[in-house]
Amino acid sequence: MSPSDPRLVIVSGKGGVGKSAVAAALATNAHRHGRKVLAIDVAGGDGLATHFGLGSLAFRPREVRPGLEALAIDRSKALVEYLQVQVGLPQFATLGPAARAFDALAGAAPGVREIVTLGKVLWEVRQGDYDLVVADCLPTGQVSGLLRAPATIAELVPTGRIRQQAEWMRDLLLDPIASQLVLVTLPEELPVIETEETLAYLRRENLIGNHRIIANRVLGELRSSAVGSGAAAEAAALHRSLFSEQQAWLRRLPPDQVLPYLFGLWTPGEVAARLADEMDRE
Amino acid sequence: MTTAIVVTGAGGVGKTTVAAALAIRRARAGQRTLVVTVDPARRLADALGIELGSEPRQVKGERLLSAAMIDAVSSWQAVARKHADPSVANRLVGSEFFQAATAHFPASQSYAAAEEAATYLDSGLWDMVVVDTPPAAGGIDFFTAPSQMADLVGGTLLRLLTGGRLPGRRFLFNRGARPLLRFADQILGSDLLERVAQFLMDLRTTYDGVRQRAQEIESHFLKSFTVVVTTADPAPMAETLRFFRELPEIASPPGLVVFNRSLPLRWAKASPPPRTGLALAENLARWGAEAQRQADARAEFASHYQTPLATIPWMPQAPTDIDALASLIDHADNWADNWADHGLDVTS
Repeated sequence: MSPSDPRLVIVSGKGGVGKSAVAAALATNAHRHGRKVLAIDVAGGDGLATHFGLGSLAFRPREVRPGLEALAIDRSKALVEYLQVQVGLPQFATLGPAARAFDALAGAAPGVREIVTLGKVLWEVRQGDYDLVVADCLPTGQVSGLLRAPATIAELVPTGRIRQQAEWMRDLLLDPIASQLVLVTLPEELPVIETEETLAYLRRENLIGNHRIIANRVLGELRSSAVGSGAAAEAAALHRSLFSEQQAWLRRLPPDQVLPYLFGLWTPGEVAARLADEMDRE
Repeated sequence: MTTAIVVTGAGGVGKTTVAAALAIRRARAGQRTLVVTVDPARRLADALGIELGSEPRQVKGERLLSAAMIDAVSSWQAVARKHADPSVANRLVGSEFFQAATAHFPASQSYAAAEEAATYLDSGLWDMVVVDTPPAAGGIDFFTAPSQMADLVGGTLLRLLTGGRLPGRRFLFNRGARPLLRFADQILGSDLLERVAQFLMDLRTTYDGVRQRAQEIESHFLKSFTVVVTTADPAPMAETLRFFRELPEIASPPGLVVFNRSLPLRWAKASPPPRTGLALAENLARWGAEAQRQADARAEFASHYQTPLATIPWMPQAPTDIDALASLIDHADNWADNWADHGLDVTS
């Protein structure tokens, strides 16, 4: 473990690019290198859980392997924890109707819902119980809103304790050594364009200090110019066309890391383990 | 009577391409057809000659085919303007919460798309309207959006804050009297809650209109033919299975599942011809294993559900013109252009 390794990695990408697989692989890879890792499912659904070979995750961290734990954000529980622990209202859970109203408010007011979710992730980083926190985050369409939450709160709330919380969160997100955003993409038109648009927005709004692009499902070059015949020729023709199409998109958005297309039969757990292997190849 | 075809599925599986291909086929078969897309790839939008916010317009060279592209943000503004008094609508659209609600309440995009599509269905101008749904979790959101939307503007929060009565503006000035509001102020700073309440009260005035429209949209859903597009990859398959498992009551059962990016199963069985070089033989073995995995995934699906299943082959490049789109389906297996006609049995 080097001191320059980030303590927080936020993983996002367009739907369908293998975001959860890459998040699980990043967590697995860091764990193999001896770091104590917490993986957090922010996206909802069972994506991260299945890539750890688990059925589901809960708000309480669950051990995947010794030194690798995972949890899923439950917004209502995160809200109670946020208000009790971070904002400092230990009596909050006993307030009953007030708690329910605040829950509803968190669902409607912009920034509040996001600050609670993002707050849980950043709180775990700040507590320092883990060497690394990997957040399997929302798709690119929604991640900007999440990362912008501290700024949104700062604009909407002139004073109050939530605003103070928002300020340290923003500092941590902007710390280029501690935090890193990983954008997962495929070498195809829509994911590349969406990644470019997300990056442009995040830069414009100055929301993240450090980022990396990982291109997933990249084909290797077919090292033969033979045409072949029958099914071999058909498979070669498809491979060559897909390869050259992919290369064009990779030239347009050069990735920091390339992960290969995995052929054949893989369970989600195997996919994450294989991708974690690949991360050491570079 | 206009037939609605709702094309749904996970993100990144080629949903919009299939919707467009389907529409072109129907138009060329003599039906006045409209395809409504949400966020197509640039090349597909160019092929259809549309841009963001486009009203329906005829596709060049296709007499019976029109295309429209929904801009969810401006559709949402249209929803507000339709269902609220002009002055309230101006305040709503200008509110900072409005932008946030549009961007962060996923059902709002789906609702805006559904309301716009329903308008085209009601117009009677087309025999068939093909709706490409916004990318959302397995397509379920699209069907649940109208009731979620009615619930949002029905104001769960507002009811909690006010005890059920639709409050007058005066309630805002009494807030110091309520312990709950004092408590919220302590955390949020003084006027955030007031501004949220104002926004929700304005939104509340659209409730009757939105609720009624939501019911009309749901009745359209019940009569529509649903096509689920997927690939055999694990993530889209999981979403497709979830869609079937959790199919909302208001959606008619899917009439067709399309497996896009399919590989020929014969590759799995083929052995390379004599004198095939090592690189090509290994390449065939890799793609053959992939073809087998896809076939297994389709068989697994078919063992659970009786829905007809069609496959479209894996094209190295997305179709970039109308003819290429139409011919996409020429290459499909187990395709019938009149799927939706069969599906109509459910509704007539």
